[in-house]
Amino acid sequence: MIPFFEKHRPKTFNQIKGQDLAVAKIKEFFRNFSISNKKKALLLHGPAGVGKTTLAMVLANENECEIFELNASDLRNRAKLEEIMKPSTEQKSLFAKGKIILVDEVDGVTATDRGGLPELIVLIEKTKFPIIITANDVWQQKFSLLRRKTELVPLKEVSYSIVLNLLKDIVTIESKQVDEELLKGIAAKSRGDLRAALNDLQSIIYTEAQHVHKDHIHLREKAGDIFNALRHVFKTKTSSETTDIYHNLDMELDKIQLWVEKNIPYEYKGEELAKAYESLSKADIFKGRIYRQQHWRFLVYQNFFLSAGVSSSSRNKDPRSFTKYQKPTRILKIWMANRKNAQKKSIAIKYANYCHISKKRALKEFFTIALILDENTIRKLDLSDQEKLFLQDYKGALKVAHGLNKFVS
Amino acid sequence: MTEVNSSTIWTEKYRPSKFENIVGQQEIIKRVTNLTNSLNIPHMLFAGPAGIGKSTLAIIVAKELFKDFWKENYLELNASDARGIDVVRQEVKNFARTKSLGNVPFKIIFLDEADALTKEAQQALRRTMENYTGTCRFILSCNYSSKIIDPIQSRCVVFRFKLLEEKDIEKVIKKIAENEKLVIDEKSIETLYEGSEGDCRRAINLLQASASISPTITSELVNTLLSSAKPADIKVVLDYALSGDFDKSREKLLDVMLKESVSGTDIIKSIQKEIWNLDIDPELKVKLTEKTGEIEFRLVEGSDEFIQLEALLASFVLAGLGK
Repeated sequence: MIPFFEKHRPKTFNQIKGQDLAVAKIKEFFRNFSISNKKKALLLHGPAGVGKTTLAMVLANENECEIFELNASDLRNRAKLEEIMKPSTEQKSLFAKGKIILVDEVDGVTATDRGGLPELIVLIEKTKFPIIITANDVWQQKFSLLRRKTELVPLKEVSYSIVLNLLKDIVTIESKQVDEELLKGIAAKSRGDLRAALNDLQSIIYTEAQHVHKDHIHLREKAGDIFNALRHVFKTKTSSETTDIYHNLDMELDKIQLWVEKNIPYEYKGEELAKAYESLSKADIFKGRIYRQQHWRFLVYQNFFLSAGVSSSSRNKDPRSFTKYQKPTRILKIWMANRKNAQKKSIAIKYANYCHISKKRALKEFFTIALILDENTIRKLDLSDQEKLFLQDYKGALKVAHGLNKFVS
Repeated sequence: MTEVNSSTIWTEKYRPSKFENIVGQQEIIKRVTNLTNSLNIPHMLFAGPAGIGKSTLAIIVAKELFKDFWKENYLELNASDARGIDVVRQEVKNFARTKSLGNVPFKIIFLDEADALTKEAQQALRRTMENYTGTCRFILSCNYSSKIIDPIQSRCVVFRFKLLEEKDIEKVIKKIAENEKLVIDEKSIETLYEGSEGDCRRAINLLQASASISPTITSELVNTLLSSAKPADIKVVLDYALSGDFDKSREKLLDVMLKESVSGTDIIKSIQKEIWNLDIDPELKVKLTEKTGEIEFRLVEGSDEFIQLEALLASFVLAGLGK
């Protein structure tokens, strides 16, 4: 039996629903592709079952190209790579058929030497054919270089109404009868994963279990997607599922806490905002207690306030609205500031000792002191290379920030 | 007025090294000179605001007493940097253990910003002073003598330094400007004085910072430096929150905390003080103060500073809506 999601996979761009932006981008990418392009690869990223691979296939279909799919082991296989790259040029002249290289599910590729990411980067630089890459979570650290070398195209989850309409269409095409309430249930539980919805539909049609209650379709477990978890917490009605939402996630609770912290203001305003932060701050209190007392049961409370607590801050939620969630950056900022402050501090100490004042005062007056430290003084205070570099940057930045350069004669 | 050493930091280069070069404080100078000439000084307490010559006078006393050996016989400690009295005691002990070099039978320990020590630490210091009184003389400096416990004050001769007058600071600035070949007008000197708030070190630093930009000093340049050096205001953070722009507010908050390395507890102190100056209903002020107290308690307890402060800012957003 062919799975529904294969059988009903769109063949043309017209049949793709709810991904207009991505469709436009991929068309444009293909139209403008040339060997001299800076970015010769398109990175389609988004949750599972929203049409990433389909997009690549439709692109090939509409432009009468062949698709060459590469996986991690192919990337490491030099011979295979050359085979794919080389004969195709000859082929192109023979059959006048273009070629698209597809690297599907790049998440599975590891960052180490043997994994294939470095090879993929080289391939992107050398390729004569457009490359389409798909990934779920493109924000992992190992992809930082890849992100720079490719054009990122985010795919949204398919909205509830589109999923529902597609389900209805397919039921009609298959000449079946399914209760509309049941279809609604499938659409809601799929949480934007079209493939999952089609699988559920198929299983119901073929088991003829058309009288199952919609609550019996199990909530799709989608591991590793913080975006889904946030969407659930912020946008859907608080339920018993809410408290479990982080369990499927391959992420520590403390890290999840940073994500929630970052994104609350993009969802809630005014009173809801205050309530949500109150819950978050309570989660944080329990986090502190866990560390101090080593009493791990408090995790239950940290999790509760972080999920149901934050979720229940709002009563009027709109599951169909879209919010662009942001990555937490605070920890990185703190780390960078500490590194900078370490230089600042050690310079201040050297100055303080030399000038008979306290460290504290030197730090407080660092702005003025930085300007005073010229070449000779720097030598006298025996500043390290790192300190010199910091001072140079610091002075340059403050001259620009405060418009001091106009006074230079 | 011609003494010039090789330092490139002007506060050091032009630091007086003889009694007669010190500006202002004439009465004190006369008395300290006489004590120094007798080759037997008592413990002394120098009280007065920053940048008026307390450390300078202590150094000159040491130089006059010990001449070439002054560095070996003089220990300078800063109470606000030393972590706890134990550090002070240990350093004093190591220093006082050996006999002084030269013909003066004692060494000098200069304890700067002694009012930064807690009352308990000062009690311990008193005992240390007694233990080493045969081999050491203490010169303590502080901003407010009232913050020094009575038993220490009674063991010291107390000198109260006065704020420098405008003409004193003007004199110093003019001398340096001439020596460094700067172009400076009266108005800039006035601006420097006002910016210094009577603190001579600050005036000199400000002058040198200005000169590092341009050898022609204008009051506009000095004013620009003065306003740039001011620490960022917590009020901006609160204003953003009250106007409903939470994201801007927390961004600014993190900025202040990181760039100027201000701790969460310091932030919350400024917030607490600022609440009463806000243009909101008194009832809301009470609510916010209560919330602030709760958050401060959580910080003391050891929670994540930023998350707790964010929760507080969210309450300010609410207050901005009149709730």
